[in-house]
Amino acid sequence: MTATTFDLRAPSEFGSWLDGYTSMLRFEIRNLRTYLTVGLAIQILLGAGMALMYGFYFGDVDSVQRTFLVTGIPTLALVPIGFVMVPNAIMEHKLRDTYDYVWSLPVPRSGSAMASATIFTCLALPGAAVALLIASLSYDVDLRVSWAAVPAVLFTSAIATSVGYAVGHAVPEPRVISLITNVVMFLVLLFSPIVVAIDQFPDWWAAVHKVLPFWHMSVVIRAGLTERMVSSSVTASYGALMAWGVAAWLVAAWVVGRRH
Amino acid sequence: MMDGALMVELAPTRPGAHWLRSYGAMLRWEVVGSRLLYPLLLVSQVLVGAGFVVGFGLLIPELDRAAAQYLSTGAVVMSLILVGLVVTPQLVAQQKMQGSYDYVWSMPVPRSAASLATTTLAAVVAIPGIVAAMLVASWRYDVSLAIDPTVVPAFALTLACGSLIGSAIGHALDQPQVTMLVTQLGIFFIVGFSPVSFPADRLPGWLATLHEYLPMHHMALAVRSSLTDGLVVMTPRSWMILSLWTGAAALFTAVVLVRRR
Repeated sequence: MTATTFDLRAPSEFGSWLDGYTSMLRFEIRNLRTYLTVGLAIQILLGAGMALMYGFYFGDVDSVQRTFLVTGIPTLALVPIGFVMVPNAIMEHKLRDTYDYVWSLPVPRSGSAMASATIFTCLALPGAAVALLIASLSYDVDLRVSWAAVPAVLFTSAIATSVGYAVGHAVPEPRVISLITNVVMFLVLLFSPIVVAIDQFPDWWAAVHKVLPFWHMSVVIRAGLTERMVSSSVTASYGALMAWGVAAWLVAAWVVGRRH
Repeated sequence: MMDGALMVELAPTRPGAHWLRSYGAMLRWEVVGSRLLYPLLLVSQVLVGAGFVVGFGLLIPELDRAAAQYLSTGAVVMSLILVGLVVTPQLVAQQKMQGSYDYVWSMPVPRSAASLATTTLAAVVAIPGIVAAMLVASWRYDVSLAIDPTVVPAFALTLACGSLIGSAIGHALDQPQVTMLVTQLGIFFIVGFSPVSFPADRLPGWLATLHEYLPMHHMALAVRSSLTDGLVVMTPRSWMILSLWTGAAALFTAVVLVRRR
């Protein structure tokens, strides 16, 4: 008798949210498993490959520049996951017509959104670590890895994923998504002070990068991997990234909440 | 008299004229069919060509005169190679995805004419990117170019070799997705690991040796020596390797085109 009443009682709000969250976590992992493996390969290839490639283009550089290059690599490995793979994964749902199906599942939408964010945030970590390892070995750079690196990488990854998530949901057209992701990669690989110091850039372009998230990502990660290499304020960079994260979640909440 | 006139009308046209007419028709067909795609390709070529020169210029810590010359001529070579090796197979892959590939082959035109029409358009698309790269280079780095007559064979061979290898890839691989993957990896290898925009001695020894036998290094030498003075020397051996690759790619493309079904 008591057992029956217990079964029928609605679970607590948080308990049901947590249930929804874990089910969506399982659902997304199974759904994306091939995609996730490909993502890991891309990250390692792009991260470590770019490290070697920049070296060929730069020619002989001193040890400070080498350290800059190597400590920029984790950022380069995190960006494609958040800014390219996340919007594309959402696009995949839209193209295969599973987008509305996912929203029709009896789980809170915020739980579903958090599940996607968790998966991609965590997925980005091993690739970034391997890329950093390969880069530091091939340039023979002495890193001073501190505990600050762990929150820095996690936070960067979470921000990249959030922005990508907001873009993926807010932009309805697949072509526009692929245009945006291409432009972002071009910007990040060729026009961003991630693997070089920002003072090397013209003033106006450096000013643009103090608004964009990419330079700030490289600052917080570099601060965790080196000593006395970062001259700007790490707290300010965390603040800028936080602003990007909040903006992304506001957009995502509005789009996800509004649909249908 | 009457008989004579009739005979002329019914006689098959000369193969050369038929080929030329087919080529012209396929050119028109491609332009009309992809009229939305080409402006996009054109814009992206210009952006990539100019962006490449400006972007790496920003990143390279101490950009001296030789490095600037390498970078700007490298962008020209890159445009020439990528159009052939990447844009051509992607156009073929796109036809396969849209299902118009077999339809094109069913048309009463020689396959070589159809294939050359695609390549011609890809080459036309490359021109604005090349011009943009050169303009940006002279504006930003004051790179003065010393163009000599070998520019004609250098550009022609580079473009032909790349396009032939590209169309061989596009036609030989059945799965468009595989073609896309191969071309993406190709871009990565050509931009990052081929001595096109930087001297070959920066590569590890084994990779530099490998590039002695691949076409990219020789394409870069040919184009660079025709555009600059005293930066690099083009050797008869490089001309020979480049010609051999072009010949082999032509043969392979011909086999693939003739054999299909």
